[in-house]
Amino acid sequence: MAVKDTPMDNQRLELDIRGQICPSTLLTALRTIAMHREPLRSGQQVLAIRTDNRDATATIPAAARNMGYHVEVEKEDGAYLILIGGEASLPSGCWP
Amino acid sequence: MESPLLLITTLFLALGVAAGWIMHRSDFCIARAFRDLFLFGDGFQLRMQLVVVAAAMLLFELGRLAGGFQLPFPLFGPPSVTHLVGGCVFGIGMVLAGGCVVGTLYKAGAGSVPSAMAVLGIVLGSALYAEMHPTWSALAGRLSLATATTLPQWSGMAPTPLVAVGFGLCLLVFRRWRKKSDWRRSAFAEGYLQPWKAALLIALIGGIAAVAVGMPLGITTGYSKIAGWAGRWMAPEHFAGLVFFASDSLDYLHPLYPQPLRGGAGARLDAIAAIQWPLIGGIALGSAASALILGEWHLRWQIPRRQYLSVLCGGVLMGVAARLGAGCTIWHLWGGMAIFALPSFLFVAGLFPGAWLGSRFLARYVI
Repeated sequence: MAVKDTPMDNQRLELDIRGQICPSTLLTALRTIAMHREPLRSGQQVLAIRTDNRDATATIPAAARNMGYHVEVEKEDGAYLILIGGEASLPSGCWP
Repeated sequence: MESPLLLITTLFLALGVAAGWIMHRSDFCIARAFRDLFLFGDGFQLRMQLVVVAAAMLLFELGRLAGGFQLPFPLFGPPSVTHLVGGCVFGIGMVLAGGCVVGTLYKAGAGSVPSAMAVLGIVLGSALYAEMHPTWSALAGRLSLATATTLPQWSGMAPTPLVAVGFGLCLLVFRRWRKKSDWRRSAFAEGYLQPWKAALLIALIGGIAAVAVGMPLGITTGYSKIAGWAGRWMAPEHFAGLVFFASDSLDYLHPLYPQPLRGGAGARLDAIAAIQWPLIGGIALGSAASALILGEWHLRWQIPRRQYLSVLCGGVLMGVAARLGAGCTIWHLWGGMAIFALPSFLFVAGLFPGAWLGSRFLARYVI
């Protein structure tokens, strides 16, 4: 899975894994986090993962938080956008 | 179709819709339960499968004691090494396909094109198995390990004390897990159903199915029947000569109906068609309805080609293995395990090495 680098103040790495088979989302996310560990931790980069895998909205935030990253999840266009970057803070809100 | 079969069809369509809805909301996937154990060292979903087994164990025994049905369920036979082999091949297949026979179905219902491809693979696999059925069924007989079908039959113990012990052990395991980790999953998916709730609801649906037709949930003979129908249309002479499609595997007198429930994999509108086809359609419909209501239904097909190859091969392996092992994951795990069926213990034991092999292959060559 290619990672799209978008030049910004905070470089944004975009992964679009919508439609891919399970467990592509979590595996790809973990590999990308491992490749960009330092810039993600410092907040220089943000990893944006688009997925339609509902379980990934549990597994990816849990795995990233365990590694000490800040995570946010939003619903966008019928799929989920998971943003990973910066140091971990308090858990962001979840759907009721 | 006679009126009891129409009633069964309606009920199983409703049960299928409910199951599809539940599985989509909770993303309740058996393949994930086994795969994640090896790929990520995560046993959370496997624990949820044990919740289904424990709840079904209790429900089935209560149903038997109330005279709702007899145990063992029809279509369960003595254990054979072939059940272990079937479970292992099935384990590989479900990991490569990204879901088992119901996992791929509810995902296909929610718009996943690769999962629909896996379902096609299952049908192809069923047709492939038909070619080897006479040889394999003879081998299954030769490699038979006992004459009894269930642990109560084999041990001579009454079922109720065994269920009490089994259920008690499950409760002890659950208590231990609860001390170590959370049973709730912090998911951000809209309308998420906690997996433990999904597990209890799935067990309840299995209990209703058992009372209605004397059998737990199962769908793979329904897939074989689709293969039989397609084969009769494409190569009528060849398929007419295949023993697998000619025989009725189900021939069972249920107390609710005046006539026996008969059916098999052949291209006939029989009890198997009345039970399993509406269940298949219902699961897909229920999942589709859930996804549509959440605004999450989308046809997505632009994925790497190797993933399509993986799901097709996985589907074919599952289609073959479901017949090699005389059932699929839901039949053996949610049904047979709960009544201490010996072939189901072997099939589920085979799922572990299969899922391990499949996980290694998937991580190395597919994703």
